[in-house]
Amino acid sequence: MSSDALKKRKSKVLRSEGGTPEMKRGRELDQQDVRVYSEEVELDGRDPEQDYLLYKESCEGLATLMSEIQDLKANGAKEGVRITQSGETYVKLILCIHFMNLKKLNRLAHMRLKRGRDQTHEAKQRVDVLHLQLQNLLYEVLHLQKEISKCLEFKSKHEDIDLVSEEEFYQEAPAEISRPHLTANDPHQLTLARLDWELEQRKRLAEKYKESLATKEKIQKSIEVKKEHLTSLQPGLNAIMQASLPVQQYLSMPFEQIQKQTEVARHLPPPLYVLFVQANAYGQACDKNLTVSISGDVDEAKALSKPPEDSQDDESDSDAEEEQEKTKRRRPTTGGQLDEKRKEMLKRHPLSLCLDLKCKDGSILHLYFYYLMNLNIMTVKTKVSTSTDLSTAISAGDLLKSDTLLSCLYTGDHGRETPNPANRYQFDKVGIVSFVDYVDELGYPYMWVQTLGGLHFPKDSSEVCVEINSLSASQMESTMKLLRGRVQSRLALHKQFASLEHSIIPVSSECQHLFPAKIMSSLARWTAITHEDYMDLPYTRHVTDAGLAKETDLYFMTVVERGTARLHAAVVLSPRYPAVSPLFSLCLSWKGERSGRTDDNLRAMESEVNVFKSELQGPRPGHQLLTNQISRLCVCLDVYLETEGQDDGVEGPREFPREKMCLRTVRGPNRLKPFKYNHPQGFFSHR
Amino acid sequence: MTSQLTAVLCRSSFDHQMAPKYNIQNHLQLFLFYIELVCIVCVLQLLHMSVFSQSFSPCGRYLAAGNNYGEIALFSLSAALSPDATVQSQKPVLTFTAHEGPVFTLISSDCHLLSAGNGEISAWSWTELIKKVTVSLNTQQPGKQHDLIIPEINAMIINPRDNSLVVGGGDNNVHILDLEHGVFKSVLQGHSDYIHCVSVREREADILSGSEDGAVRIWDSRMDQSVHCIEVYKYESCARPQYGKWISCVTTDSDWMLCGGGPSLSLWHLRSLSPTSIFPLTGCQRQAAFHQDMILAVGDGPFVSHCLLGGEVKAQIPCTPQSLNTLQLNTNSTEHRVLTAGGSSDHIEVFTNLSYRAFSLSF
Repeated sequence: MSSDALKKRKSKVLRSEGGTPEMKRGRELDQQDVRVYSEEVELDGRDPEQDYLLYKESCEGLATLMSEIQDLKANGAKEGVRITQSGETYVKLILCIHFMNLKKLNRLAHMRLKRGRDQTHEAKQRVDVLHLQLQNLLYEVLHLQKEISKCLEFKSKHEDIDLVSEEEFYQEAPAEISRPHLTANDPHQLTLARLDWELEQRKRLAEKYKESLATKEKIQKSIEVKKEHLTSLQPGLNAIMQASLPVQQYLSMPFEQIQKQTEVARHLPPPLYVLFVQANAYGQACDKNLTVSISGDVDEAKALSKPPEDSQDDESDSDAEEEQEKTKRRRPTTGGQLDEKRKEMLKRHPLSLCLDLKCKDGSILHLYFYYLMNLNIMTVKTKVSTSTDLSTAISAGDLLKSDTLLSCLYTGDHGRETPNPANRYQFDKVGIVSFVDYVDELGYPYMWVQTLGGLHFPKDSSEVCVEINSLSASQMESTMKLLRGRVQSRLALHKQFASLEHSIIPVSSECQHLFPAKIMSSLARWTAITHEDYMDLPYTRHVTDAGLAKETDLYFMTVVERGTARLHAAVVLSPRYPAVSPLFSLCLSWKGERSGRTDDNLRAMESEVNVFKSELQGPRPGHQLLTNQISRLCVCLDVYLETEGQDDGVEGPREFPREKMCLRTVRGPNRLKPFKYNHPQGFFSHR
Repeated sequence: MTSQLTAVLCRSSFDHQMAPKYNIQNHLQLFLFYIELVCIVCVLQLLHMSVFSQSFSPCGRYLAAGNNYGEIALFSLSAALSPDATVQSQKPVLTFTAHEGPVFTLISSDCHLLSAGNGEISAWSWTELIKKVTVSLNTQQPGKQHDLIIPEINAMIINPRDNSLVVGGGDNNVHILDLEHGVFKSVLQGHSDYIHCVSVREREADILSGSEDGAVRIWDSRMDQSVHCIEVYKYESCARPQYGKWISCVTTDSDWMLCGGGPSLSLWHLRSLSPTSIFPLTGCQRQAAFHQDMILAVGDGPFVSHCLLGGEVKAQIPCTPQSLNTLQLNTNSTEHRVLTAGGSSDHIEVFTNLSYRAFSLSF
């Protein structure tokens, strides 16, 4: 096209070369009606090169003409009017022509520029459209590529399914599914077939599952029916039980109670359970007056028995330690926390065991056994309830108290320190110095209590290592006997103290023969004193030195009076009275002070009550011992005073006339007085 | 272990009404419980024990001591005095019950130990005792028996002159036992109260006796008669009426006599029968002895008094018992030459050097 246009333009240019003057003329002629058209057409037919040359020509013509005019003007001014009129008009004409030409050429140039611009624009638009198309195509390509890759990456669900292996598949699947001829070589078909087989199998299993569900439902229903039947029996049975209660009571066969108790007993901690079983067994077999009961919160015990504690314990312990250290660093006062921990450590099991020992005289010893879970020891608290009022004796205050009642039941068993050696380390952790501070609250951890509960702790310094099988059973009988004996002796003492405080020495009829009918000396005072007071007395040093005054013993001071003579006697009463006899130390204030340490006769009196006490024991089990000893002391004081210094006529009547019949007043190298009373004859002799 | 415990049980005179009826093996704890009771009784007995008499064996290696429970304990001096002595060697090698009542007096003859207490005299062979065999060889009872009271024997001494045993006791008489034949030869009567002590003057064949009645009588053993009677309490320089008049110790050395008791301890010249020096000791003296140029005396008070013949108290050596009953010097063996003293305690004080207490033997 462009080449065509160029040819046309060339041809036009060629034409215009020849016809330029005519066209000019024609244009000038038809100027009014076809100017635009002609110009445009003219433009097509003209050659821009020619126009350029024409332009140059015109410009040169102009220049030359201008310079001619210049010259002329300059010459004319010098020479005057030499130029002719015609010449001037000619030049003017030519000049006009040139101008016209230039004008034309300018117009043409403008038109040409415009046309060029249009053409460029057109071309550009075309290019744009093409470019857009290209872009579209490229985008399409990209999209397709993405789709392809997506397809390639697609994961089928069947890959996750755990199919049976190929061999198995060929063996088990029927031919119509496996189609071996098709699948043997085509893995795709093979997979399809295997999936088919899987589907088949699953369908079958689903069927089976449904069947099972149905049978289950059926069985459940039958169970329900049976349950309902059983529950319908319960009220009937209850009614029967209820009805049988009076019969049980009547026949004194408390089956129900026992049953309940055993039910509760299941929640007892092992040591208490052992004790429960043993005490029950012993009570049934040997001792009808022993009753066992369980008290405490059963639900709490149930809750306790569920979680395994031991493993947690250790952890919490170590945790606690760390925590403790931390808190120590943080703030110095962690008292509250420590208190909390102590409380936790000393916690006892919610259930406790109560043993009631009935004595013949109607008094009951209540023993409350507790189990400290974290310390793994058992403790006991006691209470004595009596048929009579016991509040009369002041000095007997300690006799029935928990802290002395059971002390030293067995050798050296004070119940002050915990028998479990492991506890020492536990105490160190929470800062407990000694268990003694807590016994009032928690009860006493006597060794025998541990033994009854089947707990056995090796001692630090055990010279005898005894392997005791069935620990609890071996001690039950002896312990119960000791307990009963202890309570009876304490009650007897209590009674004796009450009358001793009123200065009456009760002597039972069985023991009358031990003393003469007339005793002049009388009891003036009977008071309890403390261990420290006792230790401070000068005339008890030999007892203290011999190790017979222990902290667990009870101490009393008694005064026997006759006239101006006062006999002070410090008494050590062992908790194991009457098995261990009371020990008297004497001091006589009469014509000066003398004590059993310095005066042989007082020493003899001491041994009369302390050593020759077996005759004073009275009927078994010897509860009269103490009062008999005091009575003998009175008798001895009579003898002492009446036989003292009877020679050498001291002026005036004797203060203590001889009333006792003595065969000899003194005897032996150390001139002892006759302190021994011979019953039927009624005289005193030497031992 | 078990055998030891049973030994303890057997040894004690504990009243067996509480004793175990249980099998030892099964009820060991209960058994130990009873053992402790027995031990307490033993300790009580020790607490109220008095030692009344002592005697050294003829060889001087052993000491026999009698206490108020009628027991005689045999101590081995050679063991206790050896350089490697332990606490155990201060315990008796043998303890046996010789009499029912206290053993008031003990004396050794050439080969026998004679012991006496309530009424009877027993003889024990030393050779047997050393082998720990206790068989009473012979028992004799002086005087006639009273129904109600048995007179005690407070003092015995051997008269080497005619090999006889002089016995003084509760029946106010001095009996003389012929050791050859084992019969009582004679009775010396004259005291009005019981006899505390007897002594023999070897050269003169005189027998001295001190009595509760306050008199010291000097008897002629050949004539069985009282030659002299010194009533010490009547001498103003000696009398101490606040104590009494009895004479509890008499000792002689040639012409000199020591006597004391209620009256002060005093040294008498026998030919002139007058007190030459009186010792200012407080309390009553129970036994005194001449030792070289000194007098040793024990009695009330926890000490052994050393006195010079002139009448001064040279020293009082303290010891543990509050009062002392007996004092013995071992002259039988130069190796074990010790002074022993016993009194109102289970301890017997041993003095290797007279001026201080070395150690105690104990029951």
